[in-house]
Amino acid sequence: MNLNVVKHATCTFCGCVCDDIELHADQVRIVEAKRACVLGKAWFLNHTAESLYPPALIDGQPAPVDDAIALAAELLDQAAMPLVYGMSNITCEAQRETVALAERLGGVVDSHTSL
Amino acid sequence: MGGKVTCTLGEVKNRADFIVFWGGNPAECHPRHFTKYSLMPKGKHVPNGRKDRTVVLVDIRETKSVKAADIFLQVRPGKDFEVLTILRALIKDQAVDPRQVAETGLTLEQLTDLVARMKRAKFGVMFFGMGLSMTRGKHMNSAALLTLAAEMNAFTKFVAMPMRGHGNVTGADVVMRWQTGYPFGINFSRGYPRYNPGEFSTVDLLVRGDADAALILGADPGATMPQPAIDHLARIPTIVLDPKVTHTSRLARVHITTAVTGISAPGTGYRMDEVPIPLRPALKSPYPTDEEVIRRIHEAVCAKPDWIHANGQYTTNQV
Repeated sequence: MNLNVVKHATCTFCGCVCDDIELHADQVRIVEAKRACVLGKAWFLNHTAESLYPPALIDGQPAPVDDAIALAAELLDQAAMPLVYGMSNITCEAQRETVALAERLGGVVDSHTSL
Repeated sequence: MGGKVTCTLGEVKNRADFIVFWGGNPAECHPRHFTKYSLMPKGKHVPNGRKDRTVVLVDIRETKSVKAADIFLQVRPGKDFEVLTILRALIKDQAVDPRQVAETGLTLEQLTDLVARMKRAKFGVMFFGMGLSMTRGKHMNSAALLTLAAEMNAFTKFVAMPMRGHGNVTGADVVMRWQTGYPFGINFSRGYPRYNPGEFSTVDLLVRGDADAALILGADPGATMPQPAIDHLARIPTIVLDPKVTHTSRLARVHITTAVTGISAPGTGYRMDEVPIPLRPALKSPYPTDEEVIRRIHEAVCAKPDWIHANGQYTTNQV
């Protein structure tokens, strides 16, 4: 079977952000993570491209993503003091969008740094 | 933490001959830090690698990192700020109270020896972990260590760097600093950014019950935060974006599954020394990326009337 090889892949498990990992992957899962440490191996090998979860949940029930996005926007817009929190496991591009959203909402934006 | 005296990990690798780890356990939490950056590599000005470096570990207990260190200093729990303040006095040859030294769990001999070694170093680095920044004293401890590093520059080159935990938490600081001027705990309710940790930080907001909706991104406060904060998240409408259905998803009104950062979502991540690194995903996710979902939520919010920025006069009457 042909494996997709990614050289110089980046591990985002810890703050070292090692960028010399060699990943061997099939369509669904990563089968090898060369040079990764024990934490990095677990990070790469435990995430797959399977659909293990529903695309979205509303009140615990599976729902279309479009409905979930519309409801999320409605709930955040209705709030007087919405809190936007987290951001340590998302990309900088997503973080940039997040700050713009928080500003538009007139809310609070905060990360794991404050814990 | 703009303004801190710091450097990149490449400089540590090529120059650092004196390395302190304070309140961290890199052997278990950052397994490749020693071999890739801080201890083992042979660098331009440390050609013999580990042999050219002196390594000090400061912690409240013996961890697996002790084996990698030349000197281990066991501080009494909660006394880091006192030790740092005594060190700041000792480097300037100021008198210190022996009773205050005794309270730290260390001896004056240990501390004067450390100061002498710090001053002899050509390039000193202090890495500090959550054992310093998340225990009694919190950000005051970090400030004391950063000040010590800055003051050491009267004698030799010295820098400090936080040992950041999860992947792109550094990126969150950098992006918020870039966009708002502040690193975290930012309130936009007056239409412009205000910064006040303790008032606008998440746990405080939730425990006081100030927030009336929450958007949680790539975090699981339902598993990590104090119970009163979790209780409040369950009371208010909470929205979660995460690759997995988490504890927080279970108490949320809305959960949206997203692609995994760096594994199936492309983009940029920041290393702990604030060097941005491109991510190279190996898999194709059936789910949208966080970036895409947040942009769509933003667009949906922008389609509604803008009540906060509607009349531009909110800044003039505020101090």
